[in-house]
Amino acid sequence: MSRTLLLLLLLLQQDPRRIVDEAQRRTTSQSQRYEGTLTVIDAKNKTTEKRWVYDRTGSHGNSKAVLRFTAPAEVKGVALLIINHPDRSSDQWMWTPAINRERRIAFQDRSTRFFGTDFSFEDLEERDTDQFDYKMLGDDSIDGAACWKLQSTPKQSKVSQYSHSYLWVRKDNYAFAQIENYSKEQLIRRAHYTDIRNDQGIWTAHQIDMHDLKRNSHTILKIEKLQYNIPMAEDTFTLEALRRE
Amino acid sequence: MTLRLLLALFLMALTCSGQGSGGYAQRGFLETQGTIYPEKAPNDSARAVAESLLRYEGIFRASNSLQFAGGLDFRIDTHRQVEREGSLSWWDRQTQRPSGEVRRLSATYHRGPMTFEAGKQFVRWGKTDIVTPTDRFAPRDFLTVVDNEFLGITATRLNIEKGSNTIEAVWSPRLTPSRIPLFNQRWSPIPELPAGVSLGQTTVNFPGGSQEGIRWNHTGPVEYELSLYEGFNHLPSFQGQSRLTPEGIAVDVERFYPKMLMGGGDIAVPMRLFTVKAEAAHFSSTDPRTDEYGLYVLQLERQAGEWYFVGGYAGEVVTSHGQNASTFAPDRGLTKTFLSRAGYTIDTNRSIAFETAVRQNGQGVWVKNEYSQSFGQHWRTTVNLTVIRGDMGDFLGQYRRNSHAVLVVRYSF
Repeated sequence: MSRTLLLLLLLLQQDPRRIVDEAQRRTTSQSQRYEGTLTVIDAKNKTTEKRWVYDRTGSHGNSKAVLRFTAPAEVKGVALLIINHPDRSSDQWMWTPAINRERRIAFQDRSTRFFGTDFSFEDLEERDTDQFDYKMLGDDSIDGAACWKLQSTPKQSKVSQYSHSYLWVRKDNYAFAQIENYSKEQLIRRAHYTDIRNDQGIWTAHQIDMHDLKRNSHTILKIEKLQYNIPMAEDTFTLEALRRE
Repeated sequence: MTLRLLLALFLMALTCSGQGSGGYAQRGFLETQGTIYPEKAPNDSARAVAESLLRYEGIFRASNSLQFAGGLDFRIDTHRQVEREGSLSWWDRQTQRPSGEVRRLSATYHRGPMTFEAGKQFVRWGKTDIVTPTDRFAPRDFLTVVDNEFLGITATRLNIEKGSNTIEAVWSPRLTPSRIPLFNQRWSPIPELPAGVSLGQTTVNFPGGSQEGIRWNHTGPVEYELSLYEGFNHLPSFQGQSRLTPEGIAVDVERFYPKMLMGGGDIAVPMRLFTVKAEAAHFSSTDPRTDEYGLYVLQLERQAGEWYFVGGYAGEVVTSHGQNASTFAPDRGLTKTFLSRAGYTIDTNRSIAFETAVRQNGQGVWVKNEYSQSFGQHWRTTVNLTVIRGDMGDFLGQYRRNSHAVLVVRYSF
């Protein structure tokens, strides 16, 4: 009896959809705030640094986020509003204080780099498990940690530059260890998650190395002053709020 | 009195920031630019102009609901485009650029879906670029016509944002006019007058009333906006009157800002390859001296890799001709024109951009090429080469002697 139960549990654990659902459940929070430092290292090893403050309310497919640059000086105040949807791609608007105007980021523009970093606009969306189909590819390890390797393919309702992605989910805490994003057979971007810590019960990577393989450049995002579940007013995630800085 | 009160609030905010308040953010830059004109203009022998601008902007968040924003500009130049007297301008009605200017000073209160802003601020309407027919609360500094900058207006703005719909109402008690080229400088290509005819007195009649506008914006898979504006054109019209003098005939010129009623709208439709944007507005007036007309813009937008591209056409339909008045109207001057803008990001520090405007009758062309490079966290250098060609009778062509090269060095903080 106990052997049957164990077998059943093992089978359930191997179900890729259940794994990503559990990963999503464990990272669900009412809100999130952090200060990010982005170090962009191009193919010639030239380095530039940018900083932003990230606020999010809601979680995954039902979330809204505002990302506002605080450095370097010439981009201070530039902000991106992201409205995520559970059943389709997000809506995004960028606010540029120098021209006092917001501009909608169209779907076909989402594959472009976000403000000179190696993150594309699409990479800044919060993934929702319902927008993808999953396939189990087996076991693997990243940085010595045992992981499940899964393949995710966007559903038709999701407009994506990527044809599919490989996800490595750590078996010990369900945190993402690595994501590789492909266009057809070509690897476009690799996000490598390190410095994974337990913050208020949520395992969170404090460093993400986004590697653009076409350009051979990296952006390292370091997350500081991370807080979960702090009160955030809904009206700070609107187009009008972008103006208020 | 209002100015003093708002300045006091701004200074109070600065003081609070000095006390380590976390609710204060600031930014600004010191920019110096040099412009070389290879060709001499008949009314302006200067071929090199230098100017410097110091801009400081501060934002103080007094509470979650209340925010103060201020900005100051200080300028000097070599060509008397900037006033020599030390002053701090609020209304921006001088013919020259003021040496000191309150660029912005406003208080914003928001509660739930409602936002109310009062003071000097920037109000931008419309979605298209280069020509934006519905952008009626956005006067500009046109001293050097093709390199212009927006001016703030004194206004109250009420914005209610509910779901995907926004309604915004704006009331401005007094017109802030666009600044036009100086008569004795190269960006005013005054035609040569016949012998015995001279330019007489010039008078300026600023209107006394207020301006109002309302717009409804809907966001969704397709974005659209409808707007109504009643007030004055921030771009001037001119009427000449000749009189006999002992030396011959003098032509006195009156500059005035006609009444304007605008109804317009815009739409943005994301397609598979491009985003299509369209904007149109009709302008009527109770002033019989001015034209009634419609402006429309159709443009395509696309970002691909490191490139971005905007291209389109701006058109005009005159529905009723005014009586004997001429205008300085870059918005109308850039109609019946193919417009494009393209940019390429070379790497994280360097970019290039190209802008062109070609009149459909081929009588005017404007091409601007720009290279920009940042150095470290604070410095940026930009070089731009602008070529203008065409016939004297064309809005662009009349500036054909003003092709120029600009070097800009900016330190941002």
